[in-house]
Amino acid sequence: MQKQQKFSENDKMSDLINEDHSLLLVIGRFGLSFGFGDKTVKEVCQLNDIDCPTFLAIVNFLSKGNIEMDTVYDNISIPSLIDYLRNSHAYFLEFKLPAIRNKLLEAVNAPDQNLPYGVIFTKFFDEYVSEVYKHMNYEDKVVFPYVLALLEGKKDPAFSISDFEEHHNEIESKLIELKNILIKYYPAKGNNYLLTEVLFDILSCEIDLASHSHVEDYLFVPAIEAIEHEKSTEK
Amino acid sequence: MNNELLTIALAEPSVIIRSGMAVALKRIPGFRIQTVEMSTLDTLHNYLRLHKPDILLINPVFWGYVDIIALKEDTSNQHLKSMALLYASVDASLLRNFDDTISIYDSLEQIKEKLDRLIESPAPDSSDESNTLSLREKEIIVCVVKGQTNKEIAQELFLSTHTVISHRRNIARKLEIHSTAGLTIYAIVNKLVELEEIKKNMLI
Repeated sequence: MQKQQKFSENDKMSDLINEDHSLLLVIGRFGLSFGFGDKTVKEVCQLNDIDCPTFLAIVNFLSKGNIEMDTVYDNISIPSLIDYLRNSHAYFLEFKLPAIRNKLLEAVNAPDQNLPYGVIFTKFFDEYVSEVYKHMNYEDKVVFPYVLALLEGKKDPAFSISDFEEHHNEIESKLIELKNILIKYYPAKGNNYLLTEVLFDILSCEIDLASHSHVEDYLFVPAIEAIEHEKSTEK
Repeated sequence: MNNELLTIALAEPSVIIRSGMAVALKRIPGFRIQTVEMSTLDTLHNYLRLHKPDILLINPVFWGYVDIIALKEDTSNQHLKSMALLYASVDASLLRNFDDTISIYDSLEQIKEKLDRLIESPAPDSSDESNTLSLREKEIIVCVVKGQTNKEIAQELFLSTHTVISHRRNIARKLEIHSTAGLTIYAIVNKLVELEEIKKNMLI
């Protein structure tokens, strides 16, 4: 049974962004660029060779703001979903986190600070990033290839998608720690706008990382589990 | 504030009751709650196979009798707590195996009390004393950021290793900082150590 979803393929792409601006991030990760004119979601997807049901599944999942498990994702393209997740990883690792690092350095390296906070904070931040990297790299190098092989009927018997559950908490807790240090313990003086700005970025990155984990845990994993189940009963 | 994320699976067929419950749970102070909603038992079974929520809040009558014990055994999640979501009074025998119940007429305070009881969260102790570091704890932070092991710290301060560990746990709780790198920042910012003292550990 197809459930009522907020956005459908005949909605205008521009309306979708106006309705929920956090979807901007999704659009970028699908490799879409702006200038949609009055094109619908379906048209934009066709023009850019993107699987429309997958795009809509993610957009609807994220715009709901709550997590519900009733939707069955049997019409989405798993390779497209994996492309999207890979692009999200690249966005965090190659764009967002380095940008935060630069802002953080700028904020804590104010000239009136007589301690080299820059060095200390960068060390902490780099440790955090290396953990994010380890986690995402594992998905890129182990989980996604496993799933793509599974789709071709070559299941690795030593692995199953449920092995890859609940690794997300550690990443979040480290970011919360950085936030705490800045909010509670950093003796801010001088240029507070820079610090506010970087805190704001950290907070929105935290929310964004959490949504990313939600897509993995509550959309990707159940979809793969269903395929594993189907393949194992075929035999 | 309890910083641990509490995942609550919400199995209820009515979308209105379910959404209302999810919003009410988000408003409860002192908890970080993530609800995961579902409207059928099938979805619930699939979900429980893959995920380990902390609490299952479920309509106990809609699907007929819900065998909560079998449900728990089916999942490999022994810590799962169960609560029945009630619209009206229900025969007590149906509720026997639930850990607690929430009525749709409960106030937020009542729900909070029940959650507190269910997960035995430590009483919120926001008095100044409980969040300020003792002298001893500060000494221990200094040792930690200098790169000493628990054993070395114990020897230097004439404590047992066990005591050092329990001090470290209290420090992590009070400051909400768990990593050594985080403690290092705290120690420098609050001038517990001079940068010179720890330079060699930081590999600057």
